[in-house]
Amino acid sequence: MGDLILKNLTIHYGGEPVVNDFNLEVRNGEMVSLLGPSGAGKTTVLKAVAGLIKPSKGEIFIDGQPVNNLAAEKRSAVMVFQKTLLFPFLNVEQNIAFGLRMQGHKDADARRRIEQILQLTELTGLGRRKVHQLSGGQQQRVSLARALVLKPAVLLLDEPLSNLDANLRQQMRELIQDIQAETRITTLFVTHDQAEALMISHRVCLLLNGRLRQTGKPRELFYLPADPEVARFFGGCNFIQGRVKDGVFRSEFANVPAPQANGNGHLRTATIRPEDILLSPDANYGLHGKIAKTNFEGSATRIWVNCRENRFVVLTSDNDYTPGQKVRIHLPPDKIRIFPCETESV
Amino acid sequence: MRPIKQNVISTAVIATVGLPFVVLMIWSFSNRWFYPELWPRQWGFRAWDYVFGTAGFQIMAALVQSVLVAVVTALISVAIGIPAGRALGLYEFKGKDLISVILTLPVIVPPLCVAMGLHLWFIKLGVASTFLGVVLVHLTFCLPYSVFVLWGVFSNYNPDYEGQARSLGVSSWKVIVRVMLPLTFPGIVVAALFSFLLSWSQYLSTLIIGGGRVTTLPILLFALMGSGDRPVAAAVSIVFVAPAFVALAFSARYLGGKSIAGIR
Repeated sequence: MGDLILKNLTIHYGGEPVVNDFNLEVRNGEMVSLLGPSGAGKTTVLKAVAGLIKPSKGEIFIDGQPVNNLAAEKRSAVMVFQKTLLFPFLNVEQNIAFGLRMQGHKDADARRRIEQILQLTELTGLGRRKVHQLSGGQQQRVSLARALVLKPAVLLLDEPLSNLDANLRQQMRELIQDIQAETRITTLFVTHDQAEALMISHRVCLLLNGRLRQTGKPRELFYLPADPEVARFFGGCNFIQGRVKDGVFRSEFANVPAPQANGNGHLRTATIRPEDILLSPDANYGLHGKIAKTNFEGSATRIWVNCRENRFVVLTSDNDYTPGQKVRIHLPPDKIRIFPCETESV
Repeated sequence: MRPIKQNVISTAVIATVGLPFVVLMIWSFSNRWFYPELWPRQWGFRAWDYVFGTAGFQIMAALVQSVLVAVVTALISVAIGIPAGRALGLYEFKGKDLISVILTLPVIVPPLCVAMGLHLWFIKLGVASTFLGVVLVHLTFCLPYSVFVLWGVFSNYNPDYEGQARSLGVSSWKVIVRVMLPLTFPGIVVAALFSFLLSWSQYLSTLIIGGGRVTTLPILLFALMGSGDRPVAAAVSIVFVAPAFVALAFSARYLGGKSIAGIR
């Protein structure tokens, strides 16, 4: 058990800065997701914490101790790689025991801990199996067990679910969540899947192009994105521009009270989630629109609506719309998020 | 379809690889066998008697010498081949193409040239006509193969295994023994076997550098061939082939099913 603090972390890789001035605090027992598209530098951060990459600037604290000069094998942070990387020359039990043996644990003690962890990861009875006799999900659990059995202060998971199919991924997500809740192990979880990050973690930390863009509870990132790029990453695709005047954001589509917004007459950008826009074939709402395209996506239908100069994307469970149809739309003011910072254009 | 295909292949293998051995066996068990005749005129154990009796000590000494040279050569060539193959397989650096050209040179240049050229140097260095000299000249032929094999092995090697092991608490030196060697073991065995067999069959270079002092089995074999006693030469040939054959069969069985890279 312990906390993890990253201070002004900058990491270069082949001369190029991959991670820039990155700050993060993971509290004791917390599960934090490091979210970002591939190539954003997530794995690099994880490797730096594990001690496999040396940061060019900044400090890392594990359990209050600076670890910058501590070798990887001496750090109380264990990383689980994206590929399972089980040793094929060892069986399941020996794989799990690998770290314990290296740390010189006594046989009886090690055996007890392995039994415990096999049970926790639902691998009981598979201890004697060869690695290649396991399914993908089982391999992933062995890889997780191999790290958990060491009881590290910090567990680092690098996209552990990305190689699994959809059903298995859901099961594993729940398993990881349960294990984390049970062991209260401080966990830093890397993923590129926003749904996974939102579902699994206490807090989410969004990394774009090597820079930290926003940290917060899943709901905060989803509903209160800090800037248009964050919104876009979470599937936001409707942006409107307007000006703030006398505490009201005025645009051609909606007027939103914005008492906290300061500055008069400044150009601002706002966003609304596609599922929040209301659409009607009748004359219920004030804005006229014409449907450009529809896309059936199962539980919802995605509809592109041209309205004045803008094209809005609407998600609705109603799928009676056809391209070319004239509709009315409404942007509920309470669902519109005005970005705090000034933006010139999107 | 498949049984026929397999039959054709196994027949071809037996005909090309097995038949010469049959002839060799017949030769070794014949006392007298003259040209136009299909079978030896007289069968007997004269040749084997010579191999195990009269010349037994000489042949045993040559056998031991051959094994020693081949084993030491194989060990050194693998010990150099592993770090070299790892560097070539895992890292990008300038001059990689040049290295692969240089590595193939001893294979392309006739062994006679290499051995003759090295002989002068070895005399100056005082290793001509010594065990060490013979091992060194064998290494010039074995190293390219061993480096190339291990280059391939490490091209398929995922160094993340080592990162994972480090993170699980293994020091960077222990990682070599605990992770890298076990993962690449099948490939290392192949490289060692290649080197062993190459060294085992060296004649010219051993003759030139060894100067008759280091008598390996091929040296003895050629001497016997020269004497014109075919049955004895055939018997010694079989003695010569046997250890290599055993080594090959063992490794084929041991490595069966595993990929040469030993990974995935």
